[in-house]
Amino acid sequence: MTAADWAIVVLRPLVPVLGAAMAVPVLTWAERRGAGMIQDRPGPNRVGFFGWRAFGLGQPLADALKFFFKEDITPDNADAFLYTLAPWIVMFSALVGFAVIPYGPSIPIAGRSVPLVGADVPIGALFIFAMAGLSVYGIVLAGWSSNNKYSLMGGFRSAAQVISYELAMTTAAAGVFLSSSSLRLTRVVEAQQGSLLRWNVVPQFFGFLVFTIAAFAETNRVPFDLAEADAELVGGYHTEYSAFKFGAFFMAEYIAMTVGSAFIVTMYFGGWSLPFFHPRGLVGGLVSVAVFAAKTAFFLGVFIWVRWTLPRFRYDQLMRLGWKVLLPLAFANLLWAALLVRTGVL
Amino acid sequence: MNAARLIFDLAGAIAVVFAGVMVVHRNPIKSLLAIVVTFFALAVGFVLLSAPFLAAIQVIVYAGAILVLFLFVTMLLNLQTEEETADRRPFQRFFALVGIVAFAGMLLAAVRRSGEAAGSSGLPPATGAIEPLAQALFSRAALPFEAVSVLLLASLTGAYILMRRERSGSAAP
Repeated sequence: MTAADWAIVVLRPLVPVLGAAMAVPVLTWAERRGAGMIQDRPGPNRVGFFGWRAFGLGQPLADALKFFFKEDITPDNADAFLYTLAPWIVMFSALVGFAVIPYGPSIPIAGRSVPLVGADVPIGALFIFAMAGLSVYGIVLAGWSSNNKYSLMGGFRSAAQVISYELAMTTAAAGVFLSSSSLRLTRVVEAQQGSLLRWNVVPQFFGFLVFTIAAFAETNRVPFDLAEADAELVGGYHTEYSAFKFGAFFMAEYIAMTVGSAFIVTMYFGGWSLPFFHPRGLVGGLVSVAVFAAKTAFFLGVFIWVRWTLPRFRYDQLMRLGWKVLLPLAFANLLWAALLVRTGVL
Repeated sequence: MNAARLIFDLAGAIAVVFAGVMVVHRNPIKSLLAIVVTFFALAVGFVLLSAPFLAAIQVIVYAGAILVLFLFVTMLLNLQTEEETADRRPFQRFFALVGIVAFAGMLLAAVRRSGEAAGSSGLPPATGAIEPLAQALFSRAALPFEAVSVLLLASLTGAYILMRRERSGSAAP
Protein backbone atom coordinates (compact mmCIF):
# COMPACT_ATOMS: atom_id res chain seq x y z
CA MET A 1 0.00 0.00 0.00
CA THR A 2 1.18 3.50 -0.84
CA ALA A 3 1.16 6.48 1.50
CA ALA A 4 -2.06 7.78 -0.11
CA ASP A 5 -3.81 4.44 0.56
CA TRP A 6 -2.74 4.53 4.19
CA ALA A 7 -3.91 8.11 4.55
CA ILE A 8 -7.34 7.19 3.14
CA VAL A 9 -7.65 4.14 5.41
CA VAL A 10 -6.83 6.26 8.47
CA LEU A 11 -8.92 9.30 7.50
CA ARG A 12 -12.13 7.45 6.52
CA PRO A 13 -13.11 6.57 10.12
CA LEU A 14 -11.28 9.54 11.68
CA VAL A 15 -13.25 12.26 9.86
CA PRO A 16 -16.71 11.38 11.27
CA VAL A 17 -15.33 10.59 14.73
CA LEU A 18 -13.53 13.94 14.91
CA GLY A 19 -16.59 15.62 13.44
CA ALA A 20 -18.74 14.19 16.23
CA ALA A 21 -16.17 15.21 18.86
CA MET A 22 -16.02 18.75 17.50
CA ALA A 23 -19.80 19.02 17.44
CA VAL A 24 -19.82 18.65 21.25
CA PRO A 25 -18.96 22.29 22.18
CA VAL A 26 -21.51 23.62 19.70
CA LEU A 27 -24.08 21.17 21.06
CA THR A 28 -23.58 22.21 24.68
CA TRP A 29 -24.08 25.81 23.57
CA ALA A 30 -27.15 24.91 21.49
CA GLU A 31 -28.58 22.93 24.40
CA ARG A 32 -28.36 25.86 26.80
CA ARG A 33 -29.55 28.42 24.28
CA GLY A 34 -32.41 26.06 23.37
CA ALA A 35 -33.26 25.63 27.05
CA GLY A 36 -33.27 29.42 27.36
CA MET A 37 -35.58 29.79 24.39
CA ILE A 38 -38.02 27.19 25.71
CA GLN A 39 -37.97 28.65 29.22
CA ASP A 40 -38.30 32.25 28.00
CA ARG A 41 -34.85 33.47 29.09
CA PRO A 42 -31.71 34.30 27.09
CA GLY A 43 -29.38 31.45 28.08
CA PRO A 44 -25.58 31.96 27.91
CA ASN A 45 -25.09 35.05 25.72
CA ARG A 46 -22.11 36.88 27.23
CA VAL A 47 -18.88 34.93 26.70
CA GLY A 48 -17.58 35.86 23.27
CA PHE A 49 -14.28 36.54 21.54
CA PHE A 50 -12.25 39.78 21.93
CA GLY A 51 -15.13 41.97 23.02
CA TRP A 52 -17.57 40.48 20.47
CA ARG A 53 -20.32 38.57 22.25
CA ALA A 54 -20.93 36.11 19.40
CA PHE A 55 -24.27 34.98 20.85
CA GLY A 56 -22.39 33.38 23.74
CA LEU A 57 -20.46 30.95 21.51
CA GLY A 58 -17.39 31.40 23.73
CA GLN A 59 -19.21 29.68 26.61
CA PRO A 60 -18.16 26.10 25.66
CA LEU A 61 -14.50 27.22 25.69
CA ALA A 62 -14.92 28.66 29.18
CA ASP A 63 -16.61 25.40 30.28
CA ALA A 64 -13.76 23.33 28.87
CA LEU A 65 -11.21 25.46 30.76
CA LYS A 66 -13.24 24.98 33.92
CA PHE A 67 -13.15 21.19 33.48
CA PHE A 68 -9.36 21.33 33.13
CA PHE A 69 -8.67 23.48 36.16
CA LYS A 70 -11.09 22.07 38.72
CA GLU A 71 -9.74 19.75 41.39
CA ASP A 72 -9.69 16.12 40.28
CA ILE A 73 -11.12 14.20 43.24
CA THR A 74 -10.97 10.47 43.84
CA PRO A 75 -13.01 9.48 46.93
CA ASP A 76 -11.00 7.78 49.70
CA ASN A 77 -12.77 4.43 49.54
CA ALA A 78 -13.24 4.39 45.79
CA ASP A 79 -11.69 1.71 43.60
CA ALA A 80 -9.19 4.08 41.98
CA PHE A 81 -8.51 1.98 38.87
CA LEU A 82 -12.14 1.40 37.88
CA TYR A 83 -13.07 4.92 38.98
CA THR A 84 -10.59 6.32 36.47
CA LEU A 85 -11.40 3.79 33.75
CA ALA A 86 -15.21 4.16 33.79
CA PRO A 87 -15.60 7.57 32.06
CA TRP A 88 -13.30 6.46 29.25
CA ILE A 89 -15.32 3.28 28.63
CA VAL A 90 -18.40 5.47 28.16
CA MET A 91 -16.46 7.85 25.92
CA PHE A 92 -15.02 5.00 23.81
CA SER A 93 -18.36 3.28 23.33
CA ALA A 94 -19.91 6.58 22.21
CA LEU A 95 -17.16 7.53 19.76
CA VAL A 96 -16.56 4.19 18.09
CA GLY A 97 -20.14 3.83 16.80
CA PHE A 98 -19.39 6.44 14.14
CA ALA A 99 -16.81 4.18 12.51
CA VAL A 100 -19.48 2.19 10.60
CA ILE A 101 -22.09 4.86 9.71
CA PRO A 102 -21.89 5.88 6.03
CA TYR A 103 -21.70 9.68 5.76
CA GLY A 104 -21.56 10.06 1.98
CA PRO A 105 -21.36 8.26 -1.38
CA SER A 106 -18.13 7.13 -3.01
CA ILE A 107 -16.02 10.10 -4.12
CA PRO A 108 -13.00 10.17 -6.45
CA ILE A 109 -9.77 11.04 -4.62
CA ALA A 110 -6.37 10.73 -6.31
CA GLY A 111 -7.70 8.36 -8.97
CA ARG A 112 -9.43 6.06 -6.48
CA SER A 113 -13.09 5.68 -5.64
CA VAL A 114 -13.29 6.21 -1.89
CA PRO A 115 -16.53 5.23 -0.13
CA LEU A 116 -17.34 7.76 2.60
CA VAL A 117 -17.77 5.33 5.48
CA GLY A 118 -15.26 4.43 8.20
CA ALA A 119 -15.52 0.68 7.65
CA ASP A 120 -18.22 -0.92 5.53
CA VAL A 121 -18.55 -4.05 7.65
CA PRO A 122 -21.21 -6.68 6.87
CA ILE A 123 -22.57 -6.51 10.44
CA GLY A 124 -22.76 -2.67 10.36
CA ALA A 125 -25.77 -1.98 12.56
CA LEU A 126 -24.98 -4.82 15.00
CA PHE A 127 -21.59 -3.21 15.62
CA ILE A 128 -23.30 -0.04 16.81
CA PHE A 129 -25.65 -2.03 19.05
CA ALA A 130 -22.73 -3.95 20.52
CA MET A 131 -20.70 -0.82 21.22
CA ALA A 132 -23.67 1.11 22.61
CA GLY A 133 -24.28 -1.81 24.97
CA LEU A 134 -20.77 -1.32 26.31
CA SER A 135 -21.55 2.08 27.75
CA VAL A 136 -23.50 0.23 30.47
CA TYR A 137 -20.19 -1.07 31.84
CA GLY A 138 -18.83 2.44 32.12
CA ILE A 139 -21.93 3.69 33.95
CA VAL A 140 -22.33 0.66 36.25
CA LEU A 141 -18.62 0.66 37.10
CA ALA A 142 -18.66 4.40 37.74
CA GLY A 143 -21.57 3.85 40.12
CA TRP A 144 -19.96 0.93 41.89
CA SER A 145 -16.36 2.19 42.12
CA SER A 146 -17.45 5.56 43.58
CA ASN A 147 -18.46 3.75 46.78
CA ASN A 148 -21.53 5.95 47.09
CA LYS A 149 -25.07 4.61 47.37
CA TYR A 150 -26.54 7.25 45.09
CA SER A 151 -23.95 6.46 42.45
CA LEU A 152 -24.67 2.72 42.77
CA MET A 153 -28.43 3.27 42.41
CA GLY A 154 -27.84 5.33 39.29
CA GLY A 155 -25.64 2.63 37.82
CA PHE A 156 -28.25 -0.07 38.49
CA ARG A 157 -31.05 1.95 36.97
CA SER A 158 -29.02 2.60 33.87
CA ALA A 159 -28.12 -1.07 33.40
CA ALA A 160 -31.74 -2.24 33.70
CA GLN A 161 -32.94 0.52 31.42
CA VAL A 162 -30.40 0.02 28.65
CA ILE A 163 -30.93 -3.75 28.55
CA SER A 164 -34.72 -3.34 28.44
CA TYR A 165 -34.73 -0.76 25.67
CA GLU A 166 -32.04 -2.50 23.64
CA LEU A 167 -34.55 -5.28 22.94
CA ALA A 168 -37.17 -2.92 21.52
CA MET A 169 -34.51 -1.06 19.55
CA THR A 170 -33.02 -4.13 17.86
CA THR A 171 -36.48 -5.55 17.12
CA ALA A 172 -37.50 -2.27 15.47
CA ALA A 173 -34.25 -2.25 13.51
CA ALA A 174 -34.94 -5.80 12.29
CA GLY A 175 -37.80 -4.40 10.18
CA VAL A 176 -35.33 -2.15 8.36
CA PHE A 177 -32.96 -5.05 7.80
CA LEU A 178 -35.85 -7.05 6.30
CA SER A 179 -36.72 -4.33 3.80
CA SER A 180 -33.11 -3.71 2.77
CA SER A 181 -32.24 -7.45 3.07
CA SER A 182 -28.87 -6.63 4.64
CA LEU A 183 -27.28 -5.53 7.90
CA ARG A 184 -24.74 -3.51 5.92
CA LEU A 185 -25.46 0.16 6.54
CA THR A 186 -24.33 1.28 3.06
CA ARG A 187 -26.87 -1.18 1.68
CA VAL A 188 -29.56 0.19 4.04
CA VAL A 189 -28.92 3.69 2.64
CA GLU A 190 -28.87 2.37 -0.96
CA ALA A 191 -32.26 0.68 -0.50
CA GLN A 192 -33.81 4.01 0.51
CA GLN A 193 -32.71 6.00 -2.54
CA GLY A 194 -34.87 7.22 -5.41
CA SER A 195 -38.09 8.32 -3.76
CA LEU A 196 -39.28 9.85 -0.54
CA LEU A 197 -41.65 6.89 -0.14
CA ARG A 198 -38.68 4.56 0.04
CA TRP A 199 -37.39 6.19 3.22
CA ASN A 200 -38.06 3.61 5.89
CA VAL A 201 -39.87 6.15 8.04
CA VAL A 202 -42.84 6.04 5.64
CA PRO A 203 -43.63 2.30 5.45
CA GLN A 204 -42.32 1.60 8.97
CA PHE A 205 -43.44 4.64 10.91
CA PHE A 206 -44.04 2.73 14.15
CA GLY A 207 -40.65 1.09 13.84
CA PHE A 208 -39.15 4.57 13.59
CA LEU A 209 -41.11 5.69 16.64
CA VAL A 210 -39.92 2.76 18.76
CA PHE A 211 -36.35 3.11 17.50
CA THR A 212 -36.19 6.83 18.29
CA ILE A 213 -37.70 6.47 21.77
CA ALA A 214 -35.28 3.63 22.52
CA ALA A 215 -32.40 5.78 21.23
CA PHE A 216 -33.37 8.42 23.80
CA ALA A 217 -33.36 5.75 26.50
CA GLU A 218 -29.97 4.38 25.38
CA THR A 219 -28.36 7.82 25.70
CA ASN A 220 -29.84 8.32 29.20
CA ARG A 221 -31.42 11.60 28.12
CA VAL A 222 -34.59 13.14 29.54
CA PRO A 223 -37.25 11.74 29.84
CA PHE A 224 -35.15 8.61 30.46
CA ASP A 225 -32.38 10.10 32.59
CA LEU A 226 -33.21 8.12 35.73
CA ALA A 227 -29.56 7.14 36.00
CA GLU A 228 -28.73 10.71 37.01
CA ALA A 229 -32.10 11.84 38.36
CA ASP A 230 -30.90 14.85 40.33
CA ALA A 231 -33.99 15.13 42.52
CA GLU A 232 -33.54 11.62 43.95
CA LEU A 233 -29.93 10.60 43.34
CA VAL A 234 -27.96 13.87 43.60
CA GLY A 235 -26.16 13.23 40.32
CA GLY A 236 -26.59 9.47 39.93
CA TYR A 237 -23.62 7.52 38.66
CA HIS A 238 -21.41 10.61 38.31
CA THR A 239 -22.14 12.12 41.74
CA GLU A 240 -18.51 11.77 42.88
CA TYR A 241 -16.88 12.77 39.62
CA SER A 242 -15.23 16.13 39.10
CA ALA A 243 -12.91 17.95 36.72
CA PHE A 244 -12.06 16.21 33.48
CA LYS A 245 -13.43 12.81 34.47
CA PHE A 246 -16.83 14.45 34.79
CA GLY A 247 -16.11 16.28 31.55
CA ALA A 248 -15.60 12.92 29.85
CA PHE A 249 -19.07 11.74 30.95
CA PHE A 250 -20.51 15.06 29.84
CA MET A 251 -18.87 14.90 26.41
CA ALA A 252 -19.77 11.23 25.96
CA GLU A 253 -23.46 12.07 26.41
CA TYR A 254 -23.33 14.54 23.54
CA ILE A 255 -21.31 12.23 21.34
CA ALA A 256 -23.78 9.41 22.02
CA MET A 257 -26.57 11.81 21.04
CA THR A 258 -24.79 12.56 17.76
CA VAL A 259 -24.27 8.88 16.99
CA GLY A 260 -27.90 8.15 17.89
CA SER A 261 -29.14 10.91 15.57
CA ALA A 262 -26.87 9.77 12.74
CA PHE A 263 -28.08 6.19 13.27
CA ILE A 264 -31.75 7.26 13.10
CA VAL A 265 -31.03 9.25 9.93
CA THR A 266 -29.24 6.28 8.34
CA MET A 267 -31.91 3.75 9.26
CA TYR A 268 -35.10 5.73 8.56
CA PHE A 269 -34.31 8.92 6.64
CA GLY A 270 -32.17 7.80 3.73
CA GLY A 271 -28.80 8.62 5.30
CA TRP A 272 -26.81 11.00 3.11
CA SER A 273 -29.17 10.66 0.11
CA LEU A 274 -31.92 12.96 -1.09
CA PRO A 275 -34.69 11.66 -3.39
CA PHE A 276 -34.06 13.97 -6.36
CA PHE A 277 -30.35 14.52 -5.95
CA HIS A 278 -27.79 12.31 -7.70
CA PRO A 279 -24.33 13.22 -6.39
CA ARG A 280 -21.57 13.30 -8.99
CA GLY A 281 -17.86 13.57 -8.28
CA LEU A 282 -16.15 15.36 -5.42
CA VAL A 283 -18.60 18.27 -5.12
CA GLY A 284 -21.63 15.95 -5.14
CA GLY A 285 -19.98 13.87 -2.45
CA LEU A 286 -19.33 16.88 -0.24
CA VAL A 287 -22.91 18.11 -0.71
CA SER A 288 -24.10 14.64 0.38
CA VAL A 289 -21.98 14.90 3.53
CA ALA A 290 -23.60 18.28 4.20
CA VAL A 291 -27.06 16.72 3.68
CA PHE A 292 -26.17 13.98 6.17
CA ALA A 293 -24.90 16.56 8.67
CA ALA A 294 -28.06 18.65 8.28
CA LYS A 295 -30.36 15.64 8.85
CA THR A 296 -28.30 14.64 11.91
CA ALA A 297 -28.43 18.22 13.23
CA PHE A 298 -32.21 18.15 12.92
CA PHE A 299 -32.46 15.12 15.21
CA LEU A 300 -29.99 16.65 17.63
CA GLY A 301 -32.41 19.56 17.77
CA VAL A 302 -35.22 17.11 18.57
CA PHE A 303 -33.10 15.64 21.40
CA ILE A 304 -32.67 19.13 22.90
CA TRP A 305 -36.30 20.08 22.32
CA VAL A 306 -37.56 16.94 24.08
CA ARG A 307 -35.21 17.41 27.03
CA TRP A 308 -36.61 20.81 27.93
CA THR A 309 -40.21 19.88 27.20
CA LEU A 310 -40.95 16.54 28.88
CA PRO A 311 -40.72 15.64 32.58
CA ARG A 312 -38.78 12.61 33.77
CA PHE A 313 -40.47 9.19 33.93
CA ARG A 314 -40.94 7.31 37.15
CA TYR A 315 -39.01 4.03 37.24
CA ASP A 316 -42.08 1.75 36.99
CA GLN A 317 -43.46 3.87 34.15
CA LEU A 318 -40.16 3.53 32.33
CA MET A 319 -40.20 -0.27 32.62
CA ARG A 320 -43.88 -0.51 31.66
CA LEU A 321 -43.32 1.62 28.56
CA GLY A 322 -40.32 -0.43 27.49
CA TRP A 323 -41.75 -3.91 27.95
CA LYS A 324 -45.51 -3.49 27.51
CA VAL A 325 -45.71 -0.81 24.82
CA LEU A 326 -42.50 -0.49 22.82
CA LEU A 327 -41.58 -4.17 22.54
CA PRO A 328 -45.03 -5.35 21.29
CA LEU A 329 -45.13 -2.35 18.93
CA ALA A 330 -41.70 -3.30 17.58
CA PHE A 331 -42.88 -6.88 16.98
CA ALA A 332 -46.01 -5.62 15.20
CA ASN A 333 -43.78 -3.44 13.04
CA LEU A 334 -41.59 -6.44 12.23
CA LEU A 335 -44.64 -8.46 11.10
CA TRP A 336 -45.85 -5.48 9.07
CA ALA A 337 -42.44 -5.12 7.39
CA ALA A 338 -42.40 -8.86 6.63
CA LEU A 339 -45.88 -8.53 5.08
CA LEU A 340 -44.73 -5.59 2.92
CA VAL A 341 -41.66 -7.46 1.74
CA ARG A 342 -43.67 -10.62 1.09
CA THR A 343 -46.28 -8.80 -1.00
CA GLY A 344 -43.56 -6.99 -2.94
CA VAL A 345 -44.41 -3.47 -1.79
CA LEU A 346 -40.85 -3.00 -0.49
CA MET B 1 3.05 -14.29 9.05
CA ASN B 2 0.71 -11.46 8.04
CA ALA B 3 -0.90 -8.71 10.12
CA ALA B 4 -4.22 -10.54 10.53
CA ARG B 5 -2.46 -13.61 11.92
CA LEU B 6 -0.47 -11.44 14.32
CA ILE B 7 -3.64 -9.78 15.65
CA PHE B 8 -5.32 -13.19 15.91
CA ASP B 9 -2.47 -14.57 18.00
CA LEU B 10 -2.44 -11.45 20.15
CA ALA B 11 -6.21 -11.69 20.75
CA GLY B 12 -5.82 -15.37 21.62
CA ALA B 13 -3.05 -14.59 24.11
CA ILE B 14 -5.16 -11.84 25.71
CA ALA B 15 -8.14 -14.19 25.96
CA VAL B 16 -6.08 -16.85 27.74
CA VAL B 17 -4.34 -14.39 30.09
CA PHE B 18 -7.58 -12.72 31.17
CA ALA B 19 -9.31 -16.07 31.58
CA GLY B 20 -6.51 -16.81 34.04
CA VAL B 21 -7.04 -13.48 35.76
CA MET B 22 -10.73 -14.34 36.06
CA VAL B 23 -9.91 -17.51 37.95
CA VAL B 24 -7.27 -16.15 40.33
CA HIS B 25 -8.40 -12.58 41.05
CA ARG B 26 -9.63 -12.06 44.61
CA ASN B 27 -12.18 -9.36 43.82
CA PRO B 28 -15.33 -10.82 42.18
CA ILE B 29 -16.02 -7.61 40.24
CA LYS B 30 -12.54 -7.60 38.75
CA SER B 31 -12.96 -11.30 37.92
CA LEU B 32 -16.11 -10.47 35.99
CA LEU B 33 -14.39 -7.66 34.11
CA ALA B 34 -11.54 -10.01 33.23
CA ILE B 35 -14.01 -12.40 31.60
CA VAL B 36 -15.49 -9.44 29.68
CA VAL B 37 -12.03 -8.76 28.26
CA THR B 38 -11.73 -12.45 27.36
CA PHE B 39 -15.05 -12.34 25.51
CA PHE B 40 -13.87 -9.30 23.59
CA ALA B 41 -10.64 -11.00 22.61
CA LEU B 42 -12.71 -14.00 21.44
CA ALA B 43 -14.89 -11.64 19.36
CA VAL B 44 -11.75 -10.29 17.69
CA GLY B 45 -10.80 -13.88 16.93
CA PHE B 46 -14.23 -14.53 15.39
CA VAL B 47 -13.87 -11.48 13.13
CA LEU B 48 -10.50 -12.69 11.88
CA LEU B 49 -11.99 -16.15 11.28
CA SER B 50 -14.50 -14.43 8.92
CA ALA B 51 -17.42 -14.82 11.30
CA PRO B 52 -18.31 -11.17 12.03
CA PHE B 53 -21.91 -12.05 12.90
CA LEU B 54 -20.78 -14.43 15.60
CA ALA B 55 -18.44 -11.71 16.92
CA ALA B 56 -21.28 -9.18 17.12
CA ILE B 57 -23.58 -11.67 18.83
CA GLN B 58 -20.80 -12.61 21.24
CA VAL B 59 -20.42 -8.98 22.31
CA ILE B 60 -24.14 -8.13 22.33
CA VAL B 61 -25.39 -11.25 24.12
CA TYR B 62 -22.51 -12.28 26.38
CA ALA B 63 -20.67 -9.04 27.12
CA GLY B 64 -23.62 -6.70 26.65
CA ALA B 65 -26.41 -8.59 28.39
CA ILE B 66 -25.49 -11.72 30.37
CA LEU B 67 -22.36 -10.39 32.05
CA VAL B 68 -24.04 -7.08 32.83
CA LEU B 69 -26.66 -9.05 34.76
CA PHE B 70 -23.89 -11.00 36.51
CA LEU B 71 -22.26 -7.70 37.41
CA PHE B 72 -25.60 -6.43 38.62
CA VAL B 73 -26.12 -9.36 40.97
CA THR B 74 -22.53 -9.35 42.21
CA MET B 75 -22.73 -5.67 43.04
CA LEU B 76 -26.09 -6.10 44.78
CA LEU B 77 -24.64 -8.87 46.95
CA ASN B 78 -21.71 -6.54 47.62
CA LEU B 79 -19.08 -9.28 47.63
CA GLN B 80 -15.86 -7.45 48.34
CA THR B 81 -13.54 -10.42 48.51
CA GLU B 82 -14.04 -14.12 48.02
CA GLU B 83 -15.59 -15.81 51.01
CA GLU B 84 -14.21 -19.22 51.86
CA THR B 85 -11.53 -20.84 49.76
CA ALA B 86 -10.56 -23.89 51.81
CA ASP B 87 -11.72 -27.09 50.09
CA ARG B 88 -13.82 -29.23 52.36
CA ARG B 89 -13.30 -32.46 50.47
CA PRO B 90 -9.71 -33.64 49.93
CA PHE B 91 -10.49 -35.53 46.70
CA GLN B 92 -11.66 -32.30 44.98
CA ARG B 93 -8.14 -31.39 43.95
CA PHE B 94 -7.53 -34.81 42.44
CA PHE B 95 -10.70 -34.63 40.33
CA ALA B 96 -9.88 -31.05 39.27
CA LEU B 97 -6.51 -32.27 38.03
CA VAL B 98 -8.11 -35.15 36.09
CA GLY B 99 -10.57 -32.68 34.55
CA ILE B 100 -7.79 -30.28 33.50
CA VAL B 101 -5.72 -33.05 31.91
CA ALA B 102 -8.73 -34.47 30.03
CA PHE B 103 -9.77 -31.04 28.77
CA ALA B 104 -6.22 -30.16 27.71
CA GLY B 105 -6.04 -33.46 25.80
CA MET B 106 -9.32 -32.76 23.99
CA LEU B 107 -8.20 -29.22 23.16
CA LEU B 108 -4.86 -30.41 21.85
CA ALA B 109 -6.52 -33.03 19.63
CA ALA B 110 -8.96 -30.43 18.27
CA VAL B 111 -6.17 -27.95 17.55
CA ARG B 112 -4.05 -30.58 15.79
CA ARG B 113 -6.94 -31.69 13.58
CA SER B 114 -8.01 -28.14 12.65
CA GLY B 115 -4.42 -27.30 11.70
CA GLU B 116 -4.59 -29.85 8.87
CA ALA B 117 -7.86 -28.47 7.48
CA ALA B 118 -6.97 -24.77 7.41
CA GLY B 119 -5.13 -23.01 4.59
CA SER B 120 -1.52 -21.93 4.41
CA SER B 121 -1.99 -18.86 6.63
CA GLY B 122 -3.82 -20.96 9.20
CA LEU B 123 -6.93 -18.79 8.68
CA PRO B 124 -9.82 -19.55 6.31
CA PRO B 125 -10.46 -17.15 3.41
CA ALA B 126 -12.78 -14.16 4.00
CA THR B 127 -16.44 -14.79 3.23
CA GLY B 128 -18.20 -12.44 5.65
CA ALA B 129 -20.98 -14.97 5.89
CA ILE B 130 -24.26 -13.89 7.48
CA GLU B 131 -26.55 -15.06 4.66
CA PRO B 132 -25.40 -18.72 4.66
CA LEU B 133 -25.93 -18.80 8.42
CA ALA B 134 -29.44 -17.39 8.05
CA GLN B 135 -30.20 -19.84 5.21
CA ALA B 136 -29.10 -22.81 7.31
CA LEU B 137 -30.88 -21.53 10.41
CA PHE B 138 -34.25 -21.19 8.68
CA SER B 139 -34.15 -24.23 6.40
CA ARG B 140 -31.91 -27.15 7.34
CA ALA B 141 -31.68 -26.33 11.06
CA ALA B 142 -35.17 -24.86 11.42
CA LEU B 143 -36.51 -27.68 13.58
CA PRO B 144 -33.63 -27.78 16.11
CA PHE B 145 -33.68 -23.97 16.18
CA GLU B 146 -37.37 -23.94 17.10
CA ALA B 147 -36.83 -26.76 19.59
CA VAL B 148 -34.22 -24.65 21.37
CA SER B 149 -36.66 -21.70 21.47
CA VAL B 150 -39.29 -23.93 23.08
CA LEU B 151 -36.71 -25.22 25.58
CA LEU B 152 -35.74 -21.65 26.50
CA LEU B 153 -39.39 -20.70 26.90
CA ALA B 154 -39.97 -23.75 29.10
CA SER B 155 -37.03 -22.90 31.35
CA LEU B 156 -38.15 -19.28 31.54
CA THR B 157 -41.64 -20.33 32.59
CA GLY B 158 -40.15 -22.82 35.04
CA ALA B 159 -38.00 -20.16 36.69
CA TYR B 160 -41.01 -17.89 36.96
CA ILE B 161 -43.19 -20.61 38.52
CA LEU B 162 -40.48 -21.51 41.06
CA MET B 163 -40.15 -17.89 42.09
CA ARG B 164 -43.90 -17.43 42.41
CA ARG B 165 -44.39 -20.54 44.53
CA GLU B 166 -41.92 -19.24 47.09
CA ARG B 167 -43.81 -15.99 47.39
CA SER B 168 -47.35 -17.37 47.38
CA GLY B 169 -46.73 -19.07 50.74
CA SER B 170 -47.67 -15.87 52.57
CA ALA B 171 -49.86 -14.17 50.00
CA ALA B 172 -52.04 -17.08 48.79
CA PRO B 173 -55.61 -17.28 50.11
